[in-house]
Amino acid sequence: MNLPTFVLKNALRNRRRALLTIISVAISCGLLVTLLTLQRELTIPPESEAASLRIIARNKVSLAQPLPAKQLAVIERIPGIVAVTPFTFFGGNFRDETVTSFAQFAVDPKRFQGLLVEGKIVDGSYDAFVADRTSCLVGADTMKRYGLKIGDRMKFTGTFFPVDLDLKILAVFQGTVDDRGVFFHHKLLDELNGDPGTVGTWYMRVESAEVSNEVIARVNAAFENTAAEVRAETERAFQMGFVSMLGNVKMLVMLISGAVVFTLMLVTISTMSMAIRERFRELAVLKALGFQRRELFAFILAESFGLAVVGAVVGIGGAWGLWTHLDLQKLTSGFLLYFEVTPRIMAWGAAVAAVMGLVSAIPPAVETARMSVTEGLKTLD
Amino acid sequence: MAAEPIVAIRELSKVYQQGEINVTALNEVSVDIHEGEFVVLMGPSGSGKSTLLHIIAGIDRATKGSVLVQGINVANLNESELADWRNQNVGFVFQSFNLIPVLTAAENVELPLLLTSLGRAERRRQVALALELVGLGDRGHHRPDQMSGGQQQRVAIARALVTDPTLIVADEPTGNLDAKSASDVLTILQSLSRVSKKTVIMVTHDPKAAHFGTRSLHLEKGEIVAD
Amino acid sequence: MALPLKYNVRNVLVRWRTTLFTVLGIGAVVLVFLGLRALARGIESTNANTGDPRNLLVVRKGSQAESGSLVTRDQFRTLRDLPGIARNEQGEPVVSAEIVMIVSAPRRDGNGEANTLIRGITPRGMELRPQVTLVEGRWFRPGQREVVVSTRMARRFAGFELGGTIKAGPERLKVVGQFDGQGSAFDSEAWMDADEARAVFDREQYSSVLLRPADPLTVSNLIARIDSDKRLALRAESEVGYYSKQTMTATPINYLAGILGTAMSVGAVFAAMNTMYASVGARTREIGTLRVLGYSRRSIVLCFLIEGALLALLGGLLGCLSAWLIQVGLTTFNVTFGTLDFQSFAETVFQFRVTPDLMLLGLLFSLFIGLAGSLLPALRAARLPVISALKSL
Repeated sequence: MNLPTFVLKNALRNRRRALLTIISVAISCGLLVTLLTLQRELTIPPESEAASLRIIARNKVSLAQPLPAKQLAVIERIPGIVAVTPFTFFGGNFRDETVTSFAQFAVDPKRFQGLLVEGKIVDGSYDAFVADRTSCLVGADTMKRYGLKIGDRMKFTGTFFPVDLDLKILAVFQGTVDDRGVFFHHKLLDELNGDPGTVGTWYMRVESAEVSNEVIARVNAAFENTAAEVRAETERAFQMGFVSMLGNVKMLVMLISGAVVFTLMLVTISTMSMAIRERFRELAVLKALGFQRRELFAFILAESFGLAVVGAVVGIGGAWGLWTHLDLQKLTSGFLLYFEVTPRIMAWGAAVAAVMGLVSAIPPAVETARMSVTEGLKTLD
Repeated sequence: MAAEPIVAIRELSKVYQQGEINVTALNEVSVDIHEGEFVVLMGPSGSGKSTLLHIIAGIDRATKGSVLVQGINVANLNESELADWRNQNVGFVFQSFNLIPVLTAAENVELPLLLTSLGRAERRRQVALALELVGLGDRGHHRPDQMSGGQQQRVAIARALVTDPTLIVADEPTGNLDAKSASDVLTILQSLSRVSKKTVIMVTHDPKAAHFGTRSLHLEKGEIVAD
Repeated sequence: MALPLKYNVRNVLVRWRTTLFTVLGIGAVVLVFLGLRALARGIESTNANTGDPRNLLVVRKGSQAESGSLVTRDQFRTLRDLPGIARNEQGEPVVSAEIVMIVSAPRRDGNGEANTLIRGITPRGMELRPQVTLVEGRWFRPGQREVVVSTRMARRFAGFELGGTIKAGPERLKVVGQFDGQGSAFDSEAWMDADEARAVFDREQYSSVLLRPADPLTVSNLIARIDSDKRLALRAESEVGYYSKQTMTATPINYLAGILGTAMSVGAVFAAMNTMYASVGARTREIGTLRVLGYSRRSIVLCFLIEGALLALLGGLLGCLSAWLIQVGLTTFNVTFGTLDFQSFAETVFQFRVTPDLMLLGLLFSLFIGLAGSLLPALRAARLPVISALKSL
């Protein structure tokens, strides 16, 4: 037998204690990795090719303020834009629901086809949708959730607009980031509202990622000093705007992660210290047998580190596995796009685990150094 | 001596399972112990003297045979009845004192009384009396770690007699003590049997300690070889 | 029969080195849980503290919030002429047609922009909201592009200070005063003249109407009258009732508190469990001795449950105390929080609020951790054989 086997045998002697300790470390590492990933997702928008190709222009006053429909003529003439459609959030409640559980948008069907690049029509036909002013195009997820089929009618009660909708499903799409939306004719919305001559936002696609910043600047400049100034931004930046409106999310997530890590470190350190304190009698025996302090420290450290490493592997690996294999994009309807557990984040988790292993060895190490052999043999806890 | 024994042991056997071997600790032991006797159980290690003591005190159970204490068959009591019985009838003195380190001497002595229906004032009076009896009337507020071994063992004796039990049972009470403290402790036990007419049963392997008793029982290989 | 409590207290204290980390850990778990709940409570109590019980708020049928509601001028005239509405000293009906607008404004701390809520209000509307008082500058003048903002908004948004300018697209609004909404939802608003607001934002219609019934007896009649009028398609509700329902924003924070609290309490339960197992292990002989003295298994279980509960309650108290100290600190330095209100679609400003019932919840939470953590060790202690009293360690 050598010292490492002795350490291993000891660590496994109290299996329950070892298991509790490992689970504690695993939970703290898993939570930390998850919170860090969330923070990264919310603060550093990972610009995807497709998302940077799509641009949304809203009224500079706020999203709630409409834009004049006549702006279309100006936007169309801006070079670099491949397709543009009015894009108005209807915000209706489906059937008897009391909340808006999926979005409905009023669009110009012909123009919208140029923006629905990833989406494929899986049922019905897009032409039928274009031809019928009271029809709608529905995402496959919504169709499935409510058990709808082509030809069914969807009734919505307006919450933003003082009108209700009664739409006939003529086409179903699938393959976009969010396969839940319902799209209908902007003309219908205009008619119901008595032709106010306004739209919610403009939704456009540019020809390449390189020109996207240029196009944004041109759109903004086109309406400067008019009655309705616009704010154009990429779809992703537009989404990030909502996150920014949630308040200081970055700080809050940091604060919470800090508190969570601190808490779990305390908890884990207490657990590990105790696991080692249980060895006091053995340590005293080793001391009596002539082991040096240095060797006893190595003994303590090896055990606390070993427990921390196993816990970290389980926790970080678990979080990685969970977030990599769950389709969060679908689950959060595109809000969380990547939720990628990067090597950097995993390294952070591992570093925290290492610190836990180190710190939890300190109290027992100090006490071991101070104890006399006879005291150690008598020690009770 | 009264004809009716206070402890009547009949054909008592105890077999331990140690690994795959059966170890016979007691082999059909029968003996009577009368009120006011100070019985000393002696014998080499593994002779069964401690096992006999534990079974009499109700902290271990026999494999066969019976122990009648004041006519009550201890073996017939269930867990919680046995706990109550111990509280009322047996005072136990351990080799390593077994005082509760976080409680003072007086509080340690009071512990068994908390299980009785006595009021606070009455408990205080009994505790003071018991401590006085072991010569520690002024040490009630001390913690065990502030006392010598001899003093701790005297506190333990006070705790054993505070409920006024029928039996005082002591397992190597002098094993951890120096000669002077040992003799103090044994003198107290002796006076308990002589003056207070308590029945004391003590296990020891110290021949000097045996002189304090009124009767010696020698055990060897689970049987009484000398009375 | 239970062992004296001082026995448990002293045992917890005598092992302070082993229990310290556990107590701190449980305290921190309770603090995180309480902190998140206190944020949610801040939002809830802001809304609960808003409105006058005598007022009725009228919005469009089907709209969940004022910002999504539309009331036409015709509808407003019909409402104004309804019987049973209170009149002021000048004999005018106490009815205020208001317009709620959302304006995106830059945050003072440089963290991007957020939506702010601007309310176009009438003199009647200000009479109907006695909670709001001017604390600096003056009120806006009708027909002028002037706004009065809450002091809390002034601290959060650039240009909202006295003399500052709020940009609404090409339009400019001058800040001429500050008001205090006394912790109500109005603290998240800026007020200007209603007709001027309609001009600035090019709005034909109002958003909502606030009115006061003549006496409490006419309230239900008035609500029923408005509700049943198919032509109006409006909905009346008590102002207090309307605001107390606007708590959707607090829900995800409460969820987060629940999820994090649960995950962290698992760790805390393990820590408590380990501490208690260690305690049981170290006191094997002591437990045996108590059994020899006649203490039953049940009293041993109880004893260790009490000890685990004490340990955890100590942590719980620590967590409550820290949360309370944080609240004191935040109040002293006038720190408020803001987030997007999902219903008004504008930033709502609220305070960190640790209420006594939240603290009680925190203590119960810690008690649960303590009991859950000590149950198994306590059962183990009770299963120890009586003979273990004789083991010499």
